[in-house]
Amino acid sequence: MVLRSIASRMALWVLAGSTLVLATIGALLLSLTRAQVLQHTHHEAAALAASAGSEIQARIDRVAISAQMLATIIATRQDNAEPLLRDTLQANHDMDGLAAVFRPSSNPVDTPPYSPFVSRADNGALASRDLSRDGRPYWNSNWFLGGLSCSAGCWQRPFLSLSRQRQLINYSVAISHEGHPVGIINADVTLDWLHQILGHLDKPEGAYAFVLDSDGNYLAHDNPTLVGKRGAPALLEVLASDQAESVRLPVAQNAQVHGAVWVYSAPIEGTRWRLGLVVPEAQIYAGVRRIFLWSLLLGMLALLGVALITLLTVRRTMAPLGMLADRAEHVARGELDFELPSTSRHDEVGRLTQSFDQMRHELALHLQDLARVAREKQRLASELEIAHQIQIGLLPSEHYLDAVCAYFELHAALRPARAVGGDLYSYFMLDPERFFVMVGDVSDKGIPAALFMAQTITLAKALAPRAQTPRNLLRLLNLELCRGNDSCMFVTLLCGLLDTGNGSLELASAGHEPPILCGHGAPRLLDFITGAVLGLYEDSDYPEHHLRLRQGETLLMYTDGITEASDHHQQMYGIERTVECLAQVPPAAPTAGYIERLLGDVDRFVADAAQADDITLLALTWHGAAQADAEVCVASRLADVFTGLDRCEHLLQKANVPSSLRGDMRLVLEELMVNTIEYGYPDGGAGQIRVLLQPRPDAVMVELIDDGIAFDPLQSVYPSLPGDLADREQIGGLGIHLARTVTSEMRYTRDAHGNHLLLRFIYPNQNGSSS
Amino acid sequence: MTLSLHSEFPAPDRVIVQVGGRLDAMTFGELDEAMLALLPRLDAGGTVVIDLAGLEYVSSAGLRSFAKIRKSMRARGGHTLLLNPQPQVRKVFDIVKAVPVSEVFTNTQELDAYLDRMQRQIIEGDSDA
Repeated sequence: MVLRSIASRMALWVLAGSTLVLATIGALLLSLTRAQVLQHTHHEAAALAASAGSEIQARIDRVAISAQMLATIIATRQDNAEPLLRDTLQANHDMDGLAAVFRPSSNPVDTPPYSPFVSRADNGALASRDLSRDGRPYWNSNWFLGGLSCSAGCWQRPFLSLSRQRQLINYSVAISHEGHPVGIINADVTLDWLHQILGHLDKPEGAYAFVLDSDGNYLAHDNPTLVGKRGAPALLEVLASDQAESVRLPVAQNAQVHGAVWVYSAPIEGTRWRLGLVVPEAQIYAGVRRIFLWSLLLGMLALLGVALITLLTVRRTMAPLGMLADRAEHVARGELDFELPSTSRHDEVGRLTQSFDQMRHELALHLQDLARVAREKQRLASELEIAHQIQIGLLPSEHYLDAVCAYFELHAALRPARAVGGDLYSYFMLDPERFFVMVGDVSDKGIPAALFMAQTITLAKALAPRAQTPRNLLRLLNLELCRGNDSCMFVTLLCGLLDTGNGSLELASAGHEPPILCGHGAPRLLDFITGAVLGLYEDSDYPEHHLRLRQGETLLMYTDGITEASDHHQQMYGIERTVECLAQVPPAAPTAGYIERLLGDVDRFVADAAQADDITLLALTWHGAAQADAEVCVASRLADVFTGLDRCEHLLQKANVPSSLRGDMRLVLEELMVNTIEYGYPDGGAGQIRVLLQPRPDAVMVELIDDGIAFDPLQSVYPSLPGDLADREQIGGLGIHLARTVTSEMRYTRDAHGNHLLLRFIYPNQNGSSS
Repeated sequence: MTLSLHSEFPAPDRVIVQVGGRLDAMTFGELDEAMLALLPRLDAGGTVVIDLAGLEYVSSAGLRSFAKIRKSMRARGGHTLLLNPQPQVRKVFDIVKAVPVSEVFTNTQELDAYLDRMQRQIIEGDSDA
């Protein structure tokens, strides 16, 4: 928890970093200081050892010189030996006893020479005796024989004098007479003063001193228990090698001292003794360590102080940051209305606060903007959804089965690439006998295409009753679409008009993909001449293509969404694959089978590549049986007309048309044909009238074609009928009126062949009345 | 089937013409000619009864013939009555409102009742005069 705050973390890091620096520098300093202190101690201790050595030497020299002088004097004045000894002993307190012993004569019977020995009693009085009178003759003792060879004097081994209860050491010097040793002067020297000198040395605390004799035994030691003992081998080895005067020993011999020690030694001239000063290493560094520990303690305290100050300073400096962090959490929750710490600072925190405030304001604006854009987007999406629904609503159902006679069946599928698209299909009954079907593709995609599509589909429906034929429809549609089409959008359209009675089909195309005829044998591409696309050129024409569907044949209309469907390698599905795929559909397959097969194949081909264009498929299957039309052709003469009427009647009778309907038909045909020959050929030229009879299950279709002058009976004036024909001045127009009234439906068109009058007579029982 | 005509005079002021077959643009001439010969034989103010029981078809040409008959009868102060029209004929008559309904009778009883009534009116008219 504590470490989450920057201040505490910073303080901790400062503390840690400073400690590291302090420790490093301290350690460096310590090692330097230690070296310095060691050096210093070396110097001091060596000097101390040297001065102690010279002091001891001075004392020893006095003894040696006194003894040598005695030897010289006594060599000539043997008899005065005792007083000399006494004087000397009196003068020199370092000596405990003095002896002048002489070699006896070679003749054993001679009395041994007087050999006085003067010694100092405990009370200071001097006593003397003659050694030659001792029970044990001295001349055979080692100390005497050894002394004779010491013409320059030598120090003997120390020994414990039993009689005087103290440690003594002898100094012997030979008395030479005429170049021959005749005796020796033997001085007993006490070692008390040596102890005194060692004891009075100005040694560092904890240090101790010692004196080793030539054999490596302790002559004197601050630790009295070690006196007379032999020095440790390591020590002796170091001293014997005569190395540097200061030597470090890992373990001291003295039991009172622990740890490593430094030994400083100095030789004592004239003897083969060595003075040693031993300083424990711990003692050398004790001061340094203490100072260092104190420094460390103080340093740590200082660092703690610094850390504390850092903590407080940073916390104080960072306080606005904490608040900003808190506010930032507000921002993250979307709450933008809050107080910011007021700051007049111009440092980073001040700038941060200001920019935070600015950011808050801009964020609020941005959020508003975003919400607006999101609303806009949602609105657009919902509008697009509605547009999609409307567009779907513009399309008729995907399945249409002729309800009356089940002669044809239609299946369609439209898959927009986006929410709304530019593909279209439509179909409707133009009249009870004719079925209009079309498939189109608007240039471009998306909403503009959708609008254009809606316009096209609506216009087509509205114009179809006036146009009557695909060719006319395309022409009219083109004119309408050209009007005000500044954006130069266009639509390709394939129109078909199916005669639901006999399966004959008129096709006209405005730049659309050619339809495919399937069913009997291999699928066939109906690649007839097409006109220009709709919407661009006002004077376009659309040639018609006629064909007659046979039973079981299916006409497949599609848009380029099929042929231009691309896979991942930008390879197009193409018309060849389309035809191949359709060839695999069994001949007896249902209409929907073509669509499912082709769509499935396209899907497999495209795999998971994105759909680039709208896809539309429409399949129209003809189930009706082939029916032969009955045609009656007559010349434009009255007699011929009636012969024709009889033939028609005969044909209708054969087709089991009810007699009442036959009467009506005869009436209508007579009236129209008589009218035609009376008025259609004003020049008196020969004309031809053709009657096409098409009996259907529910009605009879009759097409009346004549090559006379243009005449639309539907446009003729409605005659006035006062209730009595005899009242009329001019009895005319009755025939046309009769014909119009009796016919269930009448349509007029005129083309290159002349007047086409399409008549439809519904069977009375299906119409519900006989009128 | 063509047109058949048969006429008889049960009284000098009445002729009954039976029309059968088809009366159309081809045959109306025959009726016109026949009537042209018959009508002068009828007394002025007489009645022509056209029996349509055998007429199975009429077209606008036939209607014109009937209209001509009625016109000329009217000019002579006479009446033209139609008897027993068949469905097709009746339908055509209805469509063009060819004749007043009062002059069409579905059977001879109706016609006889009408004629009697007319006879009485004439007698009463005479007595009034």
